[in-house]
Formats: sequence, structure tokens, C-alpha cells
Amino acid sequence: MTSLSISHLSVSLGERTIISDLSFELRQGQIASLLGPSGCGKTTLLRTIAGLIQPTSGTIRFGSQLVGVSSVVLPPNKRGTGYVPQQGALFPHLNVAKNISFGLDRELYNKKQIAEITEEMIALIGMQGFENRLPSQLSGGQQTRVALARALAIKPKLILLDEPFSALDAVLRDELRNEVVGLLRKLGSTAILVTHDREEALVSSDRVILMRSGKVVQDGTPEEVYEAPISPEIAASTGDVLILAAQQSADGQTRYPLSENGFTERSGDTGYVVIRPEEIQVSSNSIAGVEGSLIHIDYYGHDAMLTVEVLNSPTPIKARVVGPTEFVLGQKVYLKHIGPVRYFARQIN
Amino acid sequence: MKSQNRFSGFGLRALVAGVLIVISQPLIYLFIRAGDKTWEEIWALISRPKTLEVLGLTLLLLVIVVSVNVFLGTAIAAGLHYVKIPYPRLLLVSTVLPLAIPSYVFTYTWIAIFPALEGIWAAAFILSLSTMPYMILAVSISFQRIDSGIIEVARTLGLSKISVFNRVILPQVRRSISAGALLSGLYVLSDFGAVSLLNVETLTVSIQNLFKSSYDRGAASVIGLLLFFAAAIFVLFEAILKGRDFESRGAEGFQERIRRINNPALSTVTILVVALYGILSVVVPFYVLISRYLQNPGVVAFSDLFSAALSTVSVAGLGAFIAFTLSLPLALLASQGPSAFAAISGKVILISHALPGVVVGLALVSFGSRLGPLYQSALLLAFAYAVLFLAKSVAATTAALTAVSPQLKEVAATLGKSKSRIAIQVVFPIALPNLALGVLLVFLTAMKELPATLMLRPTGMDTLATEIWSYAAISRFNEAAPYALLLVIIAAIPTFLLTIPRTAKNEIEQKVRYL
Repeated sequence: MTSLSISHLSVSLGERTIISDLSFELRQGQIASLLGPSGCGKTTLLRTIAGLIQPTSGTIRFGSQLVGVSSVVLPPNKRGTGYVPQQGALFPHLNVAKNISFGLDRELYNKKQIAEITEEMIALIGMQGFENRLPSQLSGGQQTRVALARALAIKPKLILLDEPFSALDAVLRDELRNEVVGLLRKLGSTAILVTHDREEALVSSDRVILMRSGKVVQDGTPEEVYEAPISPEIAASTGDVLILAAQQSADGQTRYPLSENGFTERSGDTGYVVIRPEEIQVSSNSIAGVEGSLIHIDYYGHDAMLTVEVLNSPTPIKARVVGPTEFVLGQKVYLKHIGPVRYFARQIN
Repeated sequence: MKSQNRFSGFGLRALVAGVLIVISQPLIYLFIRAGDKTWEEIWALISRPKTLEVLGLTLLLLVIVVSVNVFLGTAIAAGLHYVKIPYPRLLLVSTVLPLAIPSYVFTYTWIAIFPALEGIWAAAFILSLSTMPYMILAVSISFQRIDSGIIEVARTLGLSKISVFNRVILPQVRRSISAGALLSGLYVLSDFGAVSLLNVETLTVSIQNLFKSSYDRGAASVIGLLLFFAAAIFVLFEAILKGRDFESRGAEGFQERIRRINNPALSTVTILVVALYGILSVVVPFYVLISRYLQNPGVVAFSDLFSAALSTVSVAGLGAFIAFTLSLPLALLASQGPSAFAAISGKVILISHALPGVVVGLALVSFGSRLGPLYQSALLLAFAYAVLFLAKSVAATTAALTAVSPQLKEVAATLGKSKSRIAIQVVFPIALPNLALGVLLVFLTAMKELPATLMLRPTGMDTLATEIWSYAAISRFNEAAPYALLLVIIAAIPTFLLTIPRTAKNEIEQKVRYL
């Protein structure tokens, strides 16, 4: 069942067009990440879905209900979206329990029901005993959890998370992200997570929607967008890449610095091959592959990135190996490409 | 987003327009009264040597006091902030304390010591002492806001301490210096008590004399308008001079890292200057008030004191409440972000800032019997306070409302709340402590007001200010002392509130919230 469908949406703020002709759909229970560099319109899109910004053209539907066109149909207070802005934005004058119950309509629920839902939400985020604390007495992670509970309490049709973890340090961030995603899955919520962290996007969602200057450039499962990027630039936005000059002949044969059929750089290069560093096998023995010399090691602990100079490529090759590594600087190594060959023809301007 | 606001925006604009019309009534009426006279009469009045002399004297006093403030006030603030001195916070509070002492109390305590004190230099001395806190406070606040990281970067880029001050710090506090100059200048233009006691005939004194002696309200209105235009030109001049606003990044928690200059000579000079200022502006007045109070041979009439205090508090309280009510629509408009309409109403408020008490008093008195039961009522006086201190109230209310993060309003909207519910459940509860602080400020300022109170108070009603004035004007300093002491002590409260460090202030706000 379709939960959210956005069609030909454009948004302008003043003179500037922030989002242009953007469309996508989300099924019930899907968690999608909006991934893109800052200023690409992710937050604006999220706020437009929540009804906080009015689109200039296009439509937004929740299920079959039309909620937004250029003349506003539903104001934000009638949309029932659970909105979690950056840093949480908890009401500083209300305690945890009152923050969570803030959106519960007194006409829909009686006092007892409100207390029950609040209690249920507090249990859900594991913050029993914190009911009477003020936001200023909570840690960053606790604030994010309360902001999420406040959004979930109104049983929203759609949850909108705007970089909710960006203010947290790395360890807490990973933990809380797993916790929140687990919670959303358990509840079967449809959610959109805005992020500029590529790993966060890949690990926490069923769908990754890649945005660039107000447009969707690629939309698919994490595996699809990572494995089959539609351009070298898009490939770089989901992970580390190696972009090498390549030639493709009429019979479909692709030659590039790591190909088995050999490669010599020349002006007739017709395009690029995009390789992920982990798709290159590095070995000290000359069994097979292209010979090169190891010029740099970036050691990360769990893995290491090796930079290797090879004869037929002007660009040094980067390859990822699982740590600990026995390689030493300056040694001869042999490189073998073991992944798919992603060839992109050079754009002719 | 615009179209959602269209209707409520219209209602708000209508309210704002209504407030602007109401507060501009005194000024409009002043024009009408001045219009009783022919152009020839007006010109004769303005161009006569006496008027020119009075105008010249007023402007001279303005220039002297503002210059002293700009140089000495900024220097004192810089010393307090950047030179290594013991108890910097305490010293800062001591330089701001004179704010609590109205200029007429200030003047009479000095005359009590030096009965021969009079003339423009005496007035310049007294008014510089009593307006200096505006400059010190304004500049200190912006010194505190400067990110000390910027200073450190400038030092690593090779700037000497002096060039850091000139090239990095001064440009960032320029607007505050300008604001301090505006406040102290308007104080000088509208001051009536000090100059009157010192026999310096400035425009305010002239207006009061014309009003009292001849009851020629047309003539008084003409001079009143002259004073208003002088003040309005000063306000506009400052608005042009201060230049562009820029976002100065708040530097929470960075303050501790500011390295104060450790130079014994500089520290000694700073401490001496601050001590001298404190002696002249705080110790002397308090010493005189207390000794005069104790010397008072008669029994203090506590019932008179109490009734004067009660009428002061009730009229000033009513005025602060009216000012707050009138400021709400204006502040709501301003907090919704920039718009042409908001800019226009901002300008009108800025100009209303230039209305001296004596001018508002004159205008409202001139309405006379046309006001029906309002004439000679405490309500009219309270309205005069509201008009006089509306700019202050709007500034405080706007600051309180804009301090509520727009994100909170957005979250509340997605949680199903309408605009009015958001105002009631989110904006006002969060803004409440600061709103209350704003009302308190206006209240305490109104308590000290003299010229409008003298002209508008109902017959038989005495306030602390008018009692002090009537005793001091006939040199009965001992009898004035208990009233003055009480007024100064009450007025010192907001001065303390304004100067407590930010964290302590937050705690107080939290306490206020739970009271």
C-alpha cells in the first residue's frame, strides 16, 4: 500500500528554487533515507511534507488523501506527521511526560488514556523514571529519544526525522540509530530520515533517495545505490570510489588499468570505470594482476586503505584490505579487480 | 507559508495600525495646538533670541554629555572587560548602579553639598555621571558577546593587542556604542529635573515655564514640537550612523578563556577611574540621602510616605501594563520576521522613543476637558507612561518572543496545534519570564518619571517623584530624603537583575517560572 506519494513537486523560497519537479513514492512501513550534500533541499523537502512550507507546484498525497498542492490543502496541524527536527527541539518549559503528551488531543483521548499512552511511550524509549525531568536535565541522546516519543505518541501516518543524530558523538550515534530504527521497524512506521552521512543512510533504511540540487538523482535499495550507481559522481556519494580512465571498443570490451586484457592510456579514452576500493584484491605474490608499488597506507584499525602506484594509470589505485595488514611501504604488490566493471561513457559537452 | 498567515496577518496588522494611531494622538494633538498660531507667530517664536539660546544650550549639553559617554564610557567598559582587575563582575555592577538614581535626586544630593552648584558645566557633569551606565552596560554586553576565539585568531595572525582592539573589537561594538550614545542623548534631551534644579534653561525647562506662567499652550506646543524634532533628528541620525547590523555569533562558554591584560599600571588606572566614578555617582548621593534622612529633625510622616509609594506603584504599574498590552501586537509582528509593514511600525516606535516626558505631558494636558472624565485621572497619567516607554516595552517584548525558537512552533504545529494554541501552550509559557522582566523594567522606569507626572497627576495625588521634587525645589533636602531613599532602593532592583551573569539569570528565570 502506498503511504506517501510525491509527484512533480517544486518548492521555491523567495527567488530561489530549492526543489524542482521531484517525485517518489513510499510504501507503508518503508524507511527511506534522503541523502545528499548540505543545501541540496533535503530539509526543505521534509518540511514541505510536514506542511511547514508550501510547494509552488506538484502534489503530496498521504495514502489516497491529497494533503498538499500549491494552494495548501492541509495545514501542518492537520497532517498527522511525526516531525523530529534537528537537535530535537523539546519544549524547554515542559517535562519529559508533558513533552510526550503534548500532541495528544484532549478531545480524542481522556486523561487516563493520555497517561497510558505517555507511559507506553516512555517505556518504549526506555526512560522510565525520567518523567518529571526538564529537557535541560537530559543528555543529548535522551533528548533525541524524547523527541521521537513525542512524534510517535500521536500515531503519525509518517515520521519525518531531520538529521536527528547529528549532534551526538560517534558511539552514541550508532547505538541510538540502531535503537530508533529498531523501534520504527517494530511499530511498522513509514519514515523518512534526512541525513548527510552515507553510512547512516545505507545501514538504517530500505530505500535510499539520493538528492542533488533539489532533484532525486537515484532512488533504490541501499544495495542498488551502492552497487549500481548511475554515475561516477553518485557512486562517490554513497562510499569511497576509484574512478579510472577506460576505453570501450565496439564489441563491448572494456579496457582499464586493472583489466586483464591490458590498457595503455591515450587520448582516445572514451569513459571511466568506477571501482569500490574493497573490490580490489591486493597480494604480495605475483600470481596474477597488475604490478604496482605501495606508496601510502591509511590505517583505520579494522581495515586499511592502500594507495598503489601502477605503471599504466596516472591516478594511483586505492584498495581496501582487512586489518591488521602485513604490507609495508614501498613494497611491490599485485592488484586484481574482482568486482563488476561499471563503465560510464564520457559526457560530451 | 505566506498564505496560511494571510488572515491572522491581516488581523494583526489592523491591531498594529490601531496601536500606532492611539500612541500618535499626543503628537497629533500637539500639531493641532501649534496650528492655533499663524505661521508668522510660529516663526517669531522660534527665531526669537531666547529660543535660539535655549536650543543652543540644549544641543551643547547634548554634545558634551554624549562625547564624554562615548570616550569615557567605552574606555571604562573596555577596562572592566579586558584588563586584569579584582572582582570584575562586582565593579561592573557598581558602575551600573547609578541607573537607579533619577537625575533630580542626583542633582539635589550634589546641591546639598555644594549649594552654589549651577550652570551648564554642572549640568554636563551631573548628566554625564547619571547617563554613563547606559553606555557602559550597552558596550559591556556586546564585549561579552564577542567570541574570544576571534580575538585569539587575530593574535595568531600577528595583530598587537591594540590593533586587535581597534580592528577586531571596536567594529563589533560600534553599534552598541551608537546605541549607548542614543540612550544617553535622549536622556539629556528629555531631562527636566537636573537642568531645572541647576538653573539651566533647556528646551524642557522652557516648555514647562511657558506652560506654567502664561498658560499659552500654543507657544508651549510650538517649543514642544521643536524639542520633538530635535530628538527625532537625533534618533534618525543615530539609525543612519550605526551602519549595518550583522549577526554576532553567540559565544556560550567561551567567556572564561578571555585573557585579561596583565599590566599593573593599566589595572591601577582602571580601578582608580571606576572607584572615582563610583564615589561620585553612588557613594556621594547615598551618603547625602542617608545623612539627610538621619538629620531630619521632624518625624517622618510614614503615612504620607506610604500613600505616595502606593500611588507611585499603582500608576506606574498600570502604565507598565498598558505599555505591555500595546506592545504585544507590535512585538508579535516584529517576531514574525521582516516585512515592509513591520519596518514602518518599527520606525514609528523609534520616533516615539524621541518623545520627551514634558512633550507628552503637555500634549495630554492640552486635550483638557475634551477628555471628559479621563482628564485629571490616574488613567491618563498611566497612558502617558505607556506612550513614553512603549519603545522600551516593544523592545523587551520582541526580544522575549523571538527568543522562542521557531522550531518549537513548527513541532507544535505538526503535533496538531492551531496558531492560537501554539501561542498559548508554547510561545507565552516560554517567553513569560522575559516578558515579566520587560514589564518590570517599564514599571520601574515609570516610577522615576518626573515631568509628565508633574503635569498630569490628578489634583491631590502625590507620588514619590513629585514629593521629592516639591521638597527639593525649595531646598528642603532633609524632608525629601526619605522619599528619595525609598525610590532609589526600589529602582535598584532591576539594575541588579540586568547585571547578573547569564547562568545565574537563567536560574532566576526558572525560579520565576515556578512561583
